[in-house]
Amino acid sequence: MARRRTAAHLVPAAAAGAGLLLLAQVWAAPARAEEAFLTNQPANEVAVVDLGPDGASPRLVGRIPVHGSPAGVAVTKDGSTAFVTSPDGKALSVIDAATRRVLARIPVGGGPLGVAVAPRGRPVYVADWYGARLLVVDPDHAGDVRIAPTGASPSGVAVTPDGAVVLTADRDDDTVSVIDAARLERIGVIKVGQRPFGITLSEDGRRAYTANVGSDDVTVIDVATRSVTATVKVGARPYAVALAGDLAFVTNQYAGTVSVFDTTTLAPRATIHVGEYPEGIAASGDGRHVYVANWSDNTLSVIDTAVLRVVATLEVGDGPRAFGAFLRRTAR
Amino acid sequence: MKHFLAAAAALSLALLPLAADAHGPTRKKVTESVEINASADKVWAAMGNFQDMGWLPVVEKTEGKGGNEVDATRTLTLKGGGTIDEVLYKFEPEQKSYSYRITTVDVKVLPVTNYSSTLVVVPVDAAHSKVEWRGAFYRGYPNNDPPPELNDDAAVAAVTGVYRAGLDALKAKLEKGS
Repeated sequence: MARRRTAAHLVPAAAAGAGLLLLAQVWAAPARAEEAFLTNQPANEVAVVDLGPDGASPRLVGRIPVHGSPAGVAVTKDGSTAFVTSPDGKALSVIDAATRRVLARIPVGGGPLGVAVAPRGRPVYVADWYGARLLVVDPDHAGDVRIAPTGASPSGVAVTPDGAVVLTADRDDDTVSVIDAARLERIGVIKVGQRPFGITLSEDGRRAYTANVGSDDVTVIDVATRSVTATVKVGARPYAVALAGDLAFVTNQYAGTVSVFDTTTLAPRATIHVGEYPEGIAASGDGRHVYVANWSDNTLSVIDTAVLRVVATLEVGDGPRAFGAFLRRTAR
Repeated sequence: MKHFLAAAAALSLALLPLAADAHGPTRKKVTESVEINASADKVWAAMGNFQDMGWLPVVEKTEGKGGNEVDATRTLTLKGGGTIDEVLYKFEPEQKSYSYRITTVDVKVLPVTNYSSTLVVVPVDAAHSKVEWRGAFYRGYPNNDPPPELNDDAAVAAVTGVYRAGLDALKAKLEKGS
């Protein structure tokens, strides 16, 4: 999902002159930390990992039971809430991120997998893997699930920063659906590589990247024109994409690696060995670290984006998938 | 191997045509291991050739091409019928490990889809080693609400049965007479 901004809201609004704001951001950065909410699918839990003040000292701080094989996760921009899909339980769980409590479990039917949340915290968009449709859930009115059509086997979901457009990666149609969030209509279909799974938007919402499991590449989409601008070769069975600075990081499930390429030149930059079956991937708010959930190894890898290598690895529990925007900002 | 064949024999469903590569949302993993009273070199010599799956009792013959190069293929013909087509995607003799995936199998033979697997020999000491067989796969039925013969439990049971039978047979073969 789109990379989060730096810690601007820590700065009192009154002091937010441009120069002062920049300076304050530099000072504020070490005082912030992030947490990872990892769906440990076979363990039927969400592991909570404190990533440390430097972003590279991960520590397991919580385990939240969520049954039904949890897979997808989306944390709200304000860090208050984590939404988790359980495809086998056919439910969306609403988790209070600070207290680690499951506030609600909303039955949605179908095969809920990918999930994304609108910038203002609602609604929540859930891909129905079996239903070729997007389930639109308002957590305050759980009984009222609206529906938008997608292609076959929608998996990854992304919402533009203005909340106006929702994109789904339609795995079994090799397409991305463009959905008007207000009307819940499918207003565009973009042909991408084979078997797109994860989809990630740039911070400005202008570009989208799909990880194409079947063709071992990433499709770069210009959102405004709904056109493909490039296809970038990566490793075997790519799963998802994270963006940090000018770089894209792609988990390659079969290769046990993360491919790194430059989003401007599209040139490859590195191939980083992580654990077996890397899946969910996300970048820290400051872009200095990228976190990778290794499904087979049961670990979280921490990549330093300056040196492009793994600087920490943590055991997190059985089968982390962490498919979605799994990072949460916390004020310290 | 009884489990494997019993599970296979139990399946007599008329299956819907499936989209290539379609699968359910919950990938399963199975890891089985065995300790063998033999050096890692000796164990690797017995099972480290992608073109010879003869140590797995259910396999009648292995036919393939490409040796132990990445993208090499093999077809396992099973005793009592059925075949499994596989492709090698990682071969690391220095790690005593290789990884492959199934390209074609009827779910009546093995009720899984999108199956990949790794075999690795880890030395314990000069005369002992441990073999680990890891698999990642989805159940045989790619749609919601699977029939019991093709659900997650059936897939895990079948793969576990194959691994157990193979590892136990490998151990028996290598320890015989020692």
